[in-house]
Amino acid sequence: MKTASRVSSINRRTLLKASAAGAALAAFPAPLIAQTKPFAGVTLHGASFQHRFFTLLQKYIPEFEEKTGMKVDLQLSSLPVYNQQANLELSSGGSAYDFVNVTFTLATRWIAAGLLANLDEFTGDANLTPAEWNPKDFVDGAQVTYRDPKGGTYGFAWEGGAMLMGLSRMDLMEKKGLKIPKTFDELQHVCAEINGTDGVSGLVSWFLHNWNLPPYIQGFGGNVFRNPPGDPMPALNTPEAIQGVEFYAKLLKSAPTGVLTYTEDQARQAMLTGRANIFIHSSAWVTPILLSEESKVKETSRVVRSPAGPVHDYPASNSQGIGIPKNAKNKKAAWEFIKWALSKEISMRLVKEHGHSSICRRSIITSDDYRKLNTVNGQDLGALYLEVLEMPGKGDNYMAYRTTKEFPIVGDILNKAFEQVATGQLPAKDAMNAAQDQAIAALRRAGTKL
Amino acid sequence: MNESSLRKATPGRLIAITVTLLILLSPFLWLLQMSFKTNDQILQFPPPLIFTPTLENYIALWHSAFSASFVNSLLSASLSTALALLFGVPAAYALSRWSGRGKHGLSFAILVTRMAPPIAFTIPFFLFYRWIGLLDTITGLVLVYTSFNLPLVIWMMQPFFDTIPLSLEEAALVDGARTRTVFTKIVLPMVTPGIAATAILCFLYAWNDFFFALILTRTNARTAPVAVVNFMNYEGWEWGKIAAGGSLVMAPVLIFSLAVRRYLVSGLTAGAVKG
Repeated sequence: MKTASRVSSINRRTLLKASAAGAALAAFPAPLIAQTKPFAGVTLHGASFQHRFFTLLQKYIPEFEEKTGMKVDLQLSSLPVYNQQANLELSSGGSAYDFVNVTFTLATRWIAAGLLANLDEFTGDANLTPAEWNPKDFVDGAQVTYRDPKGGTYGFAWEGGAMLMGLSRMDLMEKKGLKIPKTFDELQHVCAEINGTDGVSGLVSWFLHNWNLPPYIQGFGGNVFRNPPGDPMPALNTPEAIQGVEFYAKLLKSAPTGVLTYTEDQARQAMLTGRANIFIHSSAWVTPILLSEESKVKETSRVVRSPAGPVHDYPASNSQGIGIPKNAKNKKAAWEFIKWALSKEISMRLVKEHGHSSICRRSIITSDDYRKLNTVNGQDLGALYLEVLEMPGKGDNYMAYRTTKEFPIVGDILNKAFEQVATGQLPAKDAMNAAQDQAIAALRRAGTKL
Repeated sequence: MNESSLRKATPGRLIAITVTLLILLSPFLWLLQMSFKTNDQILQFPPPLIFTPTLENYIALWHSAFSASFVNSLLSASLSTALALLFGVPAAYALSRWSGRGKHGLSFAILVTRMAPPIAFTIPFFLFYRWIGLLDTITGLVLVYTSFNLPLVIWMMQPFFDTIPLSLEEAALVDGARTRTVFTKIVLPMVTPGIAATAILCFLYAWNDFFFALILTRTNARTAPVAVVNFMNYEGWEWGKIAAGGSLVMAPVLIFSLAVRRYLVSGLTAGAVKG
């Protein structure tokens, strides 16, 4: 009997549940129910190069999948592998990816070739983007690369790099009565004075000269091209460019032997161990002297603005963005992912939980939480980062040289020319004259009209 | 000069052999020692020659996507080698025994496919594979490697078959053997060194390929050479893992070569004495 009553009770309960479900179905039409997980069954394919941002984001992706019902297939490769594969996929009209990293150096090319979807269509639709997401919150200097000449937006920045100057041995500098250099001349003087003291090199750098050198060329009033991106005529043998090359080559005389082939890791290691005094590079590489646990120079380090040239103060900066390929199969789902990945909430969680400081949202960088976490030895690193990151967005976009499609060819030639100067094989004038001729010939061979 | 004086181990010869070996092996030894160091130790200057070895790079590789890529490499290289031999060896035999007018022209036509650089084929392969759904599959890689190895097999094996006297086969046929039996029981055992040498070269081509794997794979069929490059991260290169991955990538080829070295030497030097 006991068993029978239990069976009867289960049946009754089941019946009640079924009735309730039926009532609910009658009350809410099927489409509304489906909207609770609007992208159920969708598999979103995305790709980027490996970066700490995405490694951290992957931890939160299950939350996003739970919320939307979609499955995210995020393919991460090394930078050269990713660029190669994404370039081929997009330029051949493929639809394998729903969202992609829009690599800084490729952005202009992809946008000009019409390979990316205009994201203003998503941000301009109140049904797709709530007002609080606020696309204008992204730092303008980081966003400028992801716009077409008409102002259309093709990517939102997830990571910014801003060139700063790290000094690891302020103790040595103070002993010698040296102040933090603010101009090129002062930089030259400090590097030469410190070099060799206590076995410390004056400064350290790394092998990508076409990243490190242009701020000096621009500092003297020159540029890599005549007027990029509209006029890509190389400008490698202008008096200003020659002056910049000579200056940087002289600066490297205060660097460790073999610095011309140093990798970023080697340069950072030299700073962390106090074997080199100055390193001028993106904040992510410079700030570890204050923030890293490995740092042996935390007490004697400072991070400041890189020195200004006699004509311009143009510290390099860059950003990486996420965009949607024009032929993506799931554009709305991809936008949902971008909106979520670059939301204020996720950005703040990345900062608070993982110390990821290269966020490009102004409201996050200027928040109290961010400032507290990124103020070390009284230095507000976030303020420095923001100041430099937004500079190309103010007036002259001096970083435009970097994103033109002609830069890879001219950049390689610039690298070789600089090595000839730094190793004493050729005077700067001869090397840069030859480089100019080579660059023009190479661009013409590649089909560029000059 | 007699044979015994040629074989004498004089100090000069020993020094010459040692120096040669050091030069030949130094890149491998350098890579191997790097794989047992931490990133910090690798970046130290001057590099420490005495250090406490660590297995952390190999353990990290084991737990990363590299292990799957390694299996993908093994699968694509061995399957494509087997397929190329399966089709190429009989084709080489047929070409060797054929005495028709177009023989030389056909032989040359087979080799033509190896003359163009891989880049010439990669983009058409990419577009075609995307169309038929073979992108990022082991099958796709195996087909590409087989198509490139097939001419090599035919060209390498044909001279081996040419050296086998036709009278041997005729004698077997007179004794009542079928053509298939003659090929499998008499001819094939005689060209084993050639097959071993050819197999090594086919395996090496597929195993070391970077370019096709870079373009035609993504994550599912990614091979070990491409996976090693993935340790060159935006934030820095993981030198230890790159070295450990590089050492592991070399291991199967070394093992395979050692296993068939008896055949390999005779196979690769066959032409030197048989002209």
